[in-house]
Amino acid sequence: MRWLRFIIGLVIALTLHSLLDSFFPNALAFFNPYVILVIYYSMGGNLLGAIVAGVVAGLVQDSFSGAMFGLHAFSLTFCAYVVAYVNARLALRGPAAFGACLLGAVVVNELLIYVLVNILVKQRIEMFEQGMIVKTIFTCIFGMLVYLMLSLFLREEPIEATKRPAY
Amino acid sequence: MQVVIERRPTLLLIVVLGLLFVLMTFSRSTRYIGETRTMFERTVMTVFSPVPKAVNWAGQSTADMYHGYLDMRRSVAENLELHHQVLQLTEENLRLRQSQGDLARMRSLLSYSEELPTPTIMAQVVMLDTSSRFKSIIINCGTEAGVEVNDPVVNANGLLGRIVLTTHDMAKVQLITDSNSAVGCLIERTRRQGVVHGDGSSAAQMADIPVLADVVVGDVVSTAGIDGIYPKGIPVGRVIRTDQGKSLFKAVWLLPAVDFSSIESVIVLHTKKIAPEVVRYTP
Repeated sequence: MRWLRFIIGLVIALTLHSLLDSFFPNALAFFNPYVILVIYYSMGGNLLGAIVAGVVAGLVQDSFSGAMFGLHAFSLTFCAYVVAYVNARLALRGPAAFGACLLGAVVVNELLIYVLVNILVKQRIEMFEQGMIVKTIFTCIFGMLVYLMLSLFLREEPIEATKRPAY
Repeated sequence: MQVVIERRPTLLLIVVLGLLFVLMTFSRSTRYIGETRTMFERTVMTVFSPVPKAVNWAGQSTADMYHGYLDMRRSVAENLELHHQVLQLTEENLRLRQSQGDLARMRSLLSYSEELPTPTIMAQVVMLDTSSRFKSIIINCGTEAGVEVNDPVVNANGLLGRIVLTTHDMAKVQLITDSNSAVGCLIERTRRQGVVHGDGSSAAQMADIPVLADVVVGDVVSTAGIDGIYPKGIPVGRVIRTDQGKSLFKAVWLLPAVDFSSIESVIVLHTKKIAPEVVRYTP
């Protein structure tokens, strides 16, 4: 069931990705729905699930974007693992915790991409700092809205919150 | 393996990240030699391709519907505008046709009036009463324009009648088909004179033509200029029937030269009248 919900979330993220690509071609430079999905899933604290979620979501994002295949998968997997690891120990709950995790994840994700692109392609990303700030703000706002809506209407905590393994 | 995965998740992470890094490196190297998509990338794309396709289809359909709606609204507005234009152009066309007819009539009248030796006044018919036995029309010129009683009224086709009543800005014309009308006329071919009376219908009768006079159907009748009202030579009509009769005079029927059912513009001839004392003078 948890994977079904993740797949549905992934399809929604991809739909959003396609919609934004169709109507606002540069919108994904300022907003990343896959990070929200992966972090929401990783808040449950399941490390293995977080790794798989990060890999799958990242590869889907890479497939439908112009990036090197595996770039976003690498960064998202890392972020997902870190968030899941922290939650496995601290059992963070509530919108503020989710917002903080999302904020950190977006920043780390962007930094990782920046480093990887510099290493592999040896290219500088233009206006990286500005882009990262804007993307962090918009992604966090949208992520918080998604989190609040899911909490209000579905009355659920992040996936796997009650099935956290005891690492 | 299961135990390793569950007990050493960090190790699993490192392995996965390592694999992804290799995948990235491979993707970067193949990107510049023509083959831009690895098989793995193509597989992921194939699996998830229905989603962008569905989004694209939905977006395209929505856009088509929206543009269809806009086109429909534009078409409706254009249709209304064209309908309005058709009405305007129809009205304008009617007006122009009427003006064209008026122009032709005016030219005809003008050329005719220029041939006449007497002063003329152009007038428009404002009322037409040819339904009763007394045939008359009202024109829009009166004493202000110089119209006087007994002025002959003609158009390009021939004689209409004479003025019998004037006001400041209108005048009444007694038509030659009125039963009280009498015009001194002659048959142009034989110069035989007679008097044309209206018979109260659309025709007229010519009286005082002797039985032995030469009159045939088709003879043209015009004014004789002997009655002190109508100048000589204005076409009055054409003989359509003659009857020998039982008395000394023939019965001759005329078809008036003017079609009284379609009179619009007329010319009033301002002729010199014979003084009453001259008419009444007896030696």
